[in-house]
Amino acid sequence: MPVLLKFCWILIVVNALTIGGGFVMLPMMQKEFVEKYHWITNQEFMDAIAVGQLTPGPLTVMNAFIGYKINGLAGSVMAMICSYLPCIIIVTLVVKFYCAYKESVIVNSSFKGIKSAVIGLLGAVAISLGHTSLVDFPTFGIAIVSFAVISFTKMDPTIVIIGSGVLGALLF
Amino acid sequence: MRNISLRNIFLVFFKIGTFSLGGVYSMLAFFENELVGRHKWLTHEEFIEGVAIGQMTPGAPIVNTGIYAGYKFGKIRGAMAAISGLALTGTVIAIALAIFFVKTKDSILLRSIMKGVGAAVVGLLLSTVYKMANRTIKDYKSALFALSAFFALALFKLNPIGLILAAGISGLAVYGWRK
Repeated sequence: MPVLLKFCWILIVVNALTIGGGFVMLPMMQKEFVEKYHWITNQEFMDAIAVGQLTPGPLTVMNAFIGYKINGLAGSVMAMICSYLPCIIIVTLVVKFYCAYKESVIVNSSFKGIKSAVIGLLGAVAISLGHTSLVDFPTFGIAIVSFAVISFTKMDPTIVIIGSGVLGALLF
Repeated sequence: MRNISLRNIFLVFFKIGTFSLGGVYSMLAFFENELVGRHKWLTHEEFIEGVAIGQMTPGAPIVNTGIYAGYKFGKIRGAMAAISGLALTGTVIAIALAIFFVKTKDSILLRSIMKGVGAAVVGLLLSTVYKMANRTIKDYKSALFALSAFFALALFKLNPIGLILAAGISGLAVYGWRK
């Protein structure tokens, strides 16, 4: 299968299974794009997350960044289409059948399991990415301070990421 | 059915997608200000329903709330206009950055900046895990789901797509599939 087609198919599956928040797509994407197909490196994957956070709009925009790395401009455009199409189909169906969907025990029970499980998945990905990016004392320090600031203050994560970039330019 | 042109739907979401930085909550506040407050295209109740639907459907919640609103304004074409507007600015910037990254791959300055940024991304992800856990992990069952998924991925390197499907099926078994 051509790379672009495979890339699109993975994005459709990933977006249809992103249950519990935008960050949930990350473990699936890291597995497929970095570990399985080696289209991008762990470092490039983190660059993409940072770009998704820095750019206005949803985190999903990072897929355009990854798409460009994998297949140029066509990759970016297809990434956006394949990220949003499943959502448009699913949401419009749900709006039509909202009452039945809201009460559906099958949806509620399975989503309850998934919403807890994805927290563990995201934790594992954070550690895996940490192996790549936390290489010395200063990088550990930046990670810990970022965690604390984003968790316990109201500061915008975008500011924290920009600040860490500035710090990186000065330190490394 | 409200009478709102596709162009206007696109323009309002373009504004939201261009000026809302940061997390989900700042974006949702922006949504409410524009759609409920300023334009009065949505009632407050519809907005709440849109947020709920965004959270209970697959995909990024903020995207899905946007699709909901766009659909209410102009059916499927409204939903597409909304998403195009919401994602346009970010996508263009992301592509520009990708071109820039490919061109300046070996720049030492860029690598130093991204070394700092990469460390902050790990902090951001851990903080997201912490916040999600605070909201979702309420009893030993949900804790067990999270821990099993963590070890399945961290130690056994199982595929997250398979793990999410397995968690859904286990959810049915644990939380019941009948009233």
